[in-house]
Amino acid sequence: MIQARGITRTYQTHGAFTGAHAVPALRGVDFTLPDGGAVSFIGESGCGKTTLGKILTGLETFDGGELVVDGVELSGLSARARAKYFRRIQMIHQDPYSALNPTRTVEATLGDPLRMRAKEIGGDPGKWRERAAELLTLVGLEPAAVLPKYPHQLSGGQRQRVVIARALTVDPEVLIADEAVSMIDVSMRLGILSLLRDLRTRLGISLVFITHDVATARYVGDGGELHVIYRGEVVERGLTDDVILTPVHPYTQCLLSAVPIMRGLEEPGPDRMAPIRALDERTATPGCLFEPRCPFATQECALTHPTLVPLGGDGAGVGSAAVDVGDLGDGAHVHACLHPAARRVVGVEIGAASA
Amino acid sequence: MSEVSVRSLTIEYQTSAGWLPAVADAWLDLRPGEITGLVGESGSGKSTLALALLNAVPAPGRIAAGTVELAGVGDVTRLTGKQLRKVRGGALGYVFQASQNSLNPLKTIGRQLLDLGRSHEVADLRALIARAKDLADRMGLDGDRVLDSYQHQLSGGMRQRVGIVFALVLNAKVLILDEPTTALDMLSQASVLDIVRKVHDENQLSTLIITHDIGAVSEIADRLAVMYGGRIVEDGPLLDVLRRPSHPYTRALIGATARIAGDVDAARALPGRPPDLTTVARVGCVFRDRCGFAVETCATVEPVLAAWEDGGRRRACHVEPSTVLSGASGTPAAVGEPA
Repeated sequence: MIQARGITRTYQTHGAFTGAHAVPALRGVDFTLPDGGAVSFIGESGCGKTTLGKILTGLETFDGGELVVDGVELSGLSARARAKYFRRIQMIHQDPYSALNPTRTVEATLGDPLRMRAKEIGGDPGKWRERAAELLTLVGLEPAAVLPKYPHQLSGGQRQRVVIARALTVDPEVLIADEAVSMIDVSMRLGILSLLRDLRTRLGISLVFITHDVATARYVGDGGELHVIYRGEVVERGLTDDVILTPVHPYTQCLLSAVPIMRGLEEPGPDRMAPIRALDERTATPGCLFEPRCPFATQECALTHPTLVPLGGDGAGVGSAAVDVGDLGDGAHVHACLHPAARRVVGVEIGAASA
Repeated sequence: MSEVSVRSLTIEYQTSAGWLPAVADAWLDLRPGEITGLVGESGSGKSTLALALLNAVPAPGRIAAGTVELAGVGDVTRLTGKQLRKVRGGALGYVFQASQNSLNPLKTIGRQLLDLGRSHEVADLRALIARAKDLADRMGLDGDRVLDSYQHQLSGGMRQRVGIVFALVLNAKVLILDEPTTALDMLSQASVLDIVRKVHDENQLSTLIITHDIGAVSEIADRLAVMYGGRIVEDGPLLDVLRRPSHPYTRALIGATARIAGDVDAARALPGRPPDLTTVARVGCVFRDRCGFAVETCATVEPVLAAWEDGGRRRACHVEPSTVLSGASGTPAAVGEPA
């Protein structure tokens, strides 16, 4: 179980002439990943979702908030003590072409971590071959055919399966998949996604799924929570289907509107919309971060910064909200909008009940 | 009357196993006012086919047979030297795959535009700049700012739009976009697609969009052609093809798309993996190994792309259309990928 409370990360940059300025990548992200559960993060490029994935795997530090893994707060621990926890969390990278060492066969790629793991848990290091074959079978590859191969002899889909098998060598409890299928051939994509789903049900591995593609998040994040991130801040959160079917934050609605419609099979939602202008980080946003691009912004939005509140209240809370949304429990639908309104933006399957 | 007519085009690459066809006997028409989507996975030959429209197939490839007739110009595959350079970028506008990375990082967009004008011997460079600004403005860019920018100052979506400005600034009647939305996130993708539709309609272009993403192209295309293993296996009016896919591959591809509407569990992965130049079947149907409908003939006789219904639909399959449409043998639900 992973709990994150108010994770912030700010990058300090120095321009040659512009002097130092701070770029906030994450502005206080909370989430809870139950054992065997799934959490998805969606947002456009630059929203901080990849930074979050790196923080969860220990590849990046955070400068505020706390990360609790199985009841232990990690930032208080030494680097050495922390490593043990981060080993339980493995990452599946976006690009299977650069994630594998081209000079090592699949056998070598899986062998080292397997022997290391065997020593760690007091198993028999000599048995690593059987374990490697077992893992490859689990991810849907034929061990005898794949083991002696180099990465360049495999297709993108096969490589991604090897990457997943490698992540599984250390018996992780959590997998972080950062745009794990965006570089995979379309006919192979669904195979990888259903493998991730399968690992959840068969091994009880929990999954953090980071993507800009809402449809794939819907496929793997079934039953889990979906977080919509905008400029480092979660603006809407809830059960995946709740957020996709009844989004209330205009940013979520813009993202969902942008999902292409399979014309002939689907009809666009009646309230389909787009941001009124492109993101310009230089515009100051003391109020709602999305205000300059929001089609429904009011004067209040430019001045007041909304915080997450449960759906059904009257507009988002301001400053110190009365309710701590972190205590609402799993699956509560929360949003950070002063004027939430449900809009039908998602495509509708033609022939489905048109009620 | 087609703007571009591709006739029995075959493109081969030289490999250690001899000359192998990357595109075999392709027939395709681009008509004015029509957006054609060419869908295929990596290695299906779709980018090679598009480059052949410019007669720009890179070595070790060659156009082995066939013609590309361009209205008012003639067969592009016969052109050489200066004539060919004039057609590229002149009558045929091409937006390259990853065009966001194909701009010169050392020159402003405006200077690169002037280079383009000079190499095409444009007499009035001022008018060229004015037209570029106008195009940029209509695509929701600030023309003045963009022309004075270096590529690193523009976002991915903006660079893609700059690519379209470059392709159209010399009044091309044909616009070819190779994977225009691949590196973009959802919001930029939606706005780029929107803009392509708009400039297409305003200029009555003949547009070809090459993509692996059947979802993105279905949003804006009028016709759809599906490529697999170097062959066009099905084409026709987009809505009709999506509603009633008559080739098992098209059917499986649509079924394997994770969608936002409908039943999540209805999606089915395709078994096997897409072929490449060296693994594609030499005899028989190129899709038969992954096909749930395959019959005996598929192993020995290659199906030809033939018209099968009114309304301009063509398919290359031995199995009866009604069988594929009803899905009698269904698509296999296998998740594994044989090595």
